[in-house]
Amino acid sequence: MTILYDEGQQAIATESRRVLEARVGKEALLPLLETVGEYHQPFWDTAKEQGWTALALPEADGGLGLGLIELGLIAHQAGRSISGAPFLTSSFGAAKAIELFGSDAQKGRWLPGLASGTTIGAIAFAAGPDALPRQPDVTLTGDRIDGTLRGVSAGLAADVAIVLANGPGMPVLALVHLDGVQRVAVPSFDNSRLIADLGFSDAPAETLVVGDAARTAALHILALQSVVTAHEQTGGAEALMEIARDYALTRRAFGQPIGAFQSVKHRIAELYGLVELARANCIHAAAREGATDFITAAAAARLSATEAYDTAARDCIQIHGGIGVTWEIGLHLHMRRARSLAIEQGSSLFWEDVLVDQLAGETA
Amino acid sequence: MSDLDAYRAKAAAWLASMAPTYGRDARKGLSEADDLALGRRYQKAKFDAGYAGINWPTEYGGQGLGHLEKVTFDAEEMKHGFPSFYFGISLGMPVPVLMQFGSDKDFVKERVLKALQGEEIWCQLFSEPSGGSDLAGLRTKAEPDGNGWKINGQKVWTSWAHYSDYGVIVVRTDPNVPKHKGLTYFWVDMKAPGVTVRPIKLAGGDSHVNEVFFDDVKITDDHRMSPVGGGFAVAIATLMIERYVATDSAGFGPHLDLFVQLAKDIALNGRPAIEDGRIRQQIARNHAMRSGLDSINVRARLMMQAGMMPGPEGSLNKLVAVRSRQKLSELALDLQGSGGFLFDEHASPKEDWASSWINAPTGRIAGGSDETLLNTIAEKVLGLPQDHRPDKGIPFNQIPA
Repeated sequence: MTILYDEGQQAIATESRRVLEARVGKEALLPLLETVGEYHQPFWDTAKEQGWTALALPEADGGLGLGLIELGLIAHQAGRSISGAPFLTSSFGAAKAIELFGSDAQKGRWLPGLASGTTIGAIAFAAGPDALPRQPDVTLTGDRIDGTLRGVSAGLAADVAIVLANGPGMPVLALVHLDGVQRVAVPSFDNSRLIADLGFSDAPAETLVVGDAARTAALHILALQSVVTAHEQTGGAEALMEIARDYALTRRAFGQPIGAFQSVKHRIAELYGLVELARANCIHAAAREGATDFITAAAAARLSATEAYDTAARDCIQIHGGIGVTWEIGLHLHMRRARSLAIEQGSSLFWEDVLVDQLAGETA
Repeated sequence: MSDLDAYRAKAAAWLASMAPTYGRDARKGLSEADDLALGRRYQKAKFDAGYAGINWPTEYGGQGLGHLEKVTFDAEEMKHGFPSFYFGISLGMPVPVLMQFGSDKDFVKERVLKALQGEEIWCQLFSEPSGGSDLAGLRTKAEPDGNGWKINGQKVWTSWAHYSDYGVIVVRTDPNVPKHKGLTYFWVDMKAPGVTVRPIKLAGGDSHVNEVFFDDVKITDDHRMSPVGGGFAVAIATLMIERYVATDSAGFGPHLDLFVQLAKDIALNGRPAIEDGRIRQQIARNHAMRSGLDSINVRARLMMQAGMMPGPEGSLNKLVAVRSRQKLSELALDLQGSGGFLFDEHASPKEDWASSWINAPTGRIAGGSDETLLNTIAEKVLGLPQDHRPDKGIPFNQIPA
C-alpha cells in the first residue's frame, strides 16, 4: 500500500528544497569534477545542520526516529540539486547495518557520530558487477580482515565500513574501522563520490552476522540504500525534465519554440511518464519498509529510477543541442551523477535478478 | 486486520462462492447471447449482495463506500473471469455522468437502478468516422425540432451499442461558432426509431464495437444534459471519469504472474526460461512499470477519498501499460515458439497471450491514442506549446476541409 505525504512530510520536502537551492549550485560542483578527493563541504554541513544525517535513525541512538519516507524526501531534493557528497546514503546504510545487526556496544560506539554526521560510514559489498558477491574479495579470519575492495563510494572519507567477507566456510557481514586502512583514490567521471579502493591487511574487524543470514542482511541494507538512492535519482530526473521543458519553451527554431515540435514535446512527455513511475515506486517502497515485500518494492523503485535518470540525462542534453554538451551549462553533472548512482548499490542488472527471484519465489 | 483487509476478505469469499456459477469455467463454450444472459444474472447477484455501485451514493442504489473499497473489490473480482465486461462502459462512464448531469431525478434513479442490476446497458456515443482524436470536430448534428431536437449523423467505435438500451451522445447544435463551442450533450434511447446499429468486426475477430446511424431521431429537450453549446465540458468530464475507471496496470492484458508461470514452465536452451537473462529483464522491467502504475492509481484513489483532486499522472496508465502489454505479448508468443500458434478468437485478452497480442493495437488507439495522450501531457501538464491547429478559433462550418 502506498501513502499520501502528510503535512509534516510535505514541509520536509519544501524546506530541504529551499535550503539546497540556496546553497548548492553548479558553480561549486563543476570544479569538483576536476579534482580527486574533494566534496562539496557546504552540502554536507547543511545536511548535518538540518539534521538530515539523524533523520532516519532511532531516537535512542541520537537519531530523530523518522524513516525512509522522510529521508527519501531529502534525497529527492538532493538529487534535484545534485548532492555534493555521497554520505547521506553511505552513512545511512552503515548506520542501519549497525542498528539492525550490531551489539549495544557497537551501537553506542558508532551511531551517535553517524547520526550527527561527525562520523562517515560506507558500505562495501560489491565485486565488479556483482553487488552481493558469493565470493567476496576480502576474507575474515578471526577478527582480522584481508583483501582489497574496489570502487567504494565515500571510501576516501569514511571512518567505518560495513563489508561482506568470506568467513570460515561461510559469508560474514562485518564492521571495519578504517583508521590505518590503505585507501587508493580512483579518479572517476564523478569525483565528488570520493571513490576509493580499500586495501585491508590484517585489519581489525568486528563480526555482525554470520552464514546465509549475512547475505540476507546485506541485501536488506542494499535495499534500504537503494530506496534512498532511487529518490535521489528521481529528483535528478525530475530536474532534468523541467530543464528540458523550460529550454523547449524558450529556444526557437524555424519560427517557433522547439517545444512546439512533436518530436521534442513527446520526448519530454515520455520523460514525465518515467519520472512519475519512478516517483510512485519510490513512495510505495519507502512505505513498505519492514513489510514482507520490501525487497520487491525497493527493486522496482531502483529499476524505474535508474531508467528515469539515465533517460532524462540523455534526452535533456539532446533537446539542448550544441549548448547541451558544453562544460559550462553543467548538464553533464547530471549525466555523470545518473551513471554513478546507477552503479552504487548495484546496477540494474543486479536488481533485475533480485526482483525476478522475488517474483518467481526464489531467494537471492 | 484493517477495515479494508476485512472488506477484501469478505468480498473474496463471496466472489469465490460465485465462481462456480458465473466464473471462467461456467462460461466456457457459451454463445455470446448466453454469456450476456449469464452476465446479467451475475450483475444482479452483485447488486443483491451489495457489490454493485460500491462507491456510488446510496440514494441511487449504491453502497456509499469509498474508492478504496471499489478498487479492492475489482482486484479480487478480476481473478475469476466473470462476464462483467458488458457492463464496464455502462457503469464506468455513461451512468455516472447521468447521475451527475441528468435533470429528471426520478428518471435518473430508475435508470441507475436498472443499470446496476444488469437489466439495462448504456453506451457512449463520442467518436465519429471523420475523427476520434479530434473529438470536438464531430459532425453529427442536432437541430431544433418543435419543442425538442432531431439528430442526424453517424457515430463509430461504440462499444456494446448492439446490446445497449440507452446512450449518451455529443452532437453539434451550432456549426456557426468555433468547434468546441457548438456542441451539446444528450442521452438517447437506443431503441428509438431512426437509430441503426451495425457491428464492426475487429482485427482479432471480435465485434463488440459498432457503427451507429442516426436518421431523423427525434428527442425531447429533457434529454439534454448540458447547456446548449456547453456539451464539450460534459464530454471532458466523461473522459476524466474514464481516466480513473480505465486503470489496469496490466494494460487490459494478462497479469504478469501468467508470464512468470509461462517462463517457469517452458524450457529455453535446455533450462527453464525463467533463468534466461533476456526473459528476466523483461519480467523485471514490466513489474517495475506496473508497480509504479499501481502506486499511482492507489494514490489517486487515496486523494479522491480525502476530497482532493488526483494528480495528472493518472493519465499515464493507458499510454504506458498497453504498449508494454503489446511487447510482452509478442515475447510470450516468441517464448512458446511453434507451440504458440494456437489461436482462439474468443479467448480473453486478460488470460490468453495471442488474444492479448492481436487486440493490443485497439487498446493503443481507443480512449485516446498514444500520440493524443502524449500531446495532452505535453500541453496540459507540462505547459508546452499547442500543435499548429488551422481550425483554431474559426467557425466550424468554415474549417478548411
